Amino acid sequence: MVGLSVGEKHFIQGGIAQDLRSDGRKRLTYRPIYVETGVIPQAHGSARVRLGATDVIASVKAELGKPSALQPDKGNIAIYVDCSPTAAPMFEGRGGEELSTELSVALQRCLLGGKSGAGAGIDPTSLVVVEGKVCWDLYIDGLVISSDGNLLDALAAAIKAALSNTGIPKVNVAADATSDEQPEVNISDEEFLQFDTSGIPVIVTLTKVGRHYIVDATSEEESQMSSAVSISVNRKGHICGLTKRGGVGLDPSIILDMISVAKHVSEQLINKLDSEIAAAEASEEES
Amino acid sequence: MAAKPGSAPVTYSPNLGQKTRPPIFKDNDLDWVRPDGRGFHQCRPAFFRTGAVNSASGSAYAELGSTKVIVSVFGPRESKKAMMYSDTGRLNCNFSYTTFATPVRGQGSDHKEFSSMLHKALEGAIMLETFPKTTVDVFALVLESGGSDLPVVISCASLALADAGIMMYDLVAAVSVSCLGKNLVIDPVLEEESYQDGSLMLTCMPSRNEVTQLTFTGEWSTPDINEAMQLCLDACSKLGKVMRTCLKEAASASQE
Repeated sequence: MVGLSVGEKHFIQGGIAQDLRSDGRKRLTYRPIYVETGVIPQAHGSARVRLGATDVIASVKAELGKPSALQPDKGNIAIYVDCSPTAAPMFEGRGGEELSTELSVALQRCLLGGKSGAGAGIDPTSLVVVEGKVCWDLYIDGLVISSDGNLLDALAAAIKAALSNTGIPKVNVAADATSDEQPEVNISDEEFLQFDTSGIPVIVTLTKVGRHYIVDATSEEESQMSSAVSISVNRKGHICGLTKRGGVGLDPSIILDMISVAKHVSEQLINKLDSEIAAAEASEEES
Repeated sequence: MAAKPGSAPVTYSPNLGQKTRPPIFKDNDLDWVRPDGRGFHQCRPAFFRTGAVNSASGSAYAELGSTKVIVSVFGPRESKKAMMYSDTGRLNCNFSYTTFATPVRGQGSDHKEFSSMLHKALEGAIMLETFPKTTVDVFALVLESGGSDLPVVISCASLALADAGIMMYDLVAAVSVSCLGKNLVIDPVLEEESYQDGSLMLTCMPSRNEVTQLTFTGEWSTPDINEAMQLCLDACSKLGKVMRTCLKEAASASQE
């Protein structure tokens, strides 16, 4: 992104103050979201989400593994994001590592809940096959293809769509396994289990520019931000995770105000996203 | 130890107790006491000492319960030649665990994101424009991980920066709160952290009443959020006073 002149910066800040952004949106309006599911046939589930010029792909792969000794009734879920150099030349090699780690950690925080597993968007107990011995390891990978701001919201939407597209193969366990040996498992090719994705939260990133907050900032608007708060809200209106980004300090009352704004915005976003995902799944089945 | 002839030598590994434990509390158990006997809203007593490392520009050692950390600050030093000219200073943070910090050797390397979280917590407090073209390096080392590691490191790092004479807007104090069932406990220990249903870490500058970093994990309802944030802000202001006392003592001791 080329640097902005002083005039352009004033234009962006002034527009936000008057509730009219550079592309004509209001402060709390999202860009149109396009969802396609099943874009990666070899993965168990995948989705591609476009939010304006931001383009991300999420894929879900499941492998059989062993649950950890501390939590034998839960499967393992790993979320990792990779920023591809096609998005920006500075992401080549290790350049994008800091951004990737920040996005991965924020997504893990929002989707996986507390250490005891409570409040997780994805229920890890549904991934266990034989308690203590065999479970599914779920690898959720996000890829940033093109970046025009608001990567976290797009990635969370892509992961939600990919999980609703995911089919975990049914596993038949040999019934006569003794308690010491590894039981024999037979992975079926025909039957699949679908995930229940109604509990998965969405992420709303509120960017503070001057004295106002905007939702779904483009990369130009993000360059003018003083700070940003990414809030993950689920269908029940509970906060599932919050990350403050940007170095500038914020008054606590502003943060609480941002949380209530995010809850209000998330209702529309969840409904829009669900209808888009349903439409994408329907069109995938037709083709 | 004499080994039986023909058998492999037996190595001793400490028994860490049962690997799977029942939850340390039951949902309706109101008489539950924390492992170290504190109240739910009581922080561990904090011990801070500056000047722990002689060769560094500034350093600090902090001990809260069984969490022991040491932070040293080098700088402002000349930036590497490869870096572009910048008319504000740069902050470089590095957070690492010793291999013996955790009960299981080497477990601390899971937390690679702590370096960037430390950076974000501190950069809002430092006046970067007072040292252009140079870099300040902050190196944090956790000697023993007893729970609530990142908040203790952030507080200790801001003391180390003050000890190094870097100009700051205010000291940065950090506190974390865990949600265990319906209870909110402040400053959790390692055991409480492993069973938590949700956690909140808040970093603020007490005198300016500004939050520099905030992270929530797990599911929270709005009244819980308000209560938890209020708890953290109170605890941070008290912690800020303790840190100030430590700096004053160090300054008056060096004058004698």
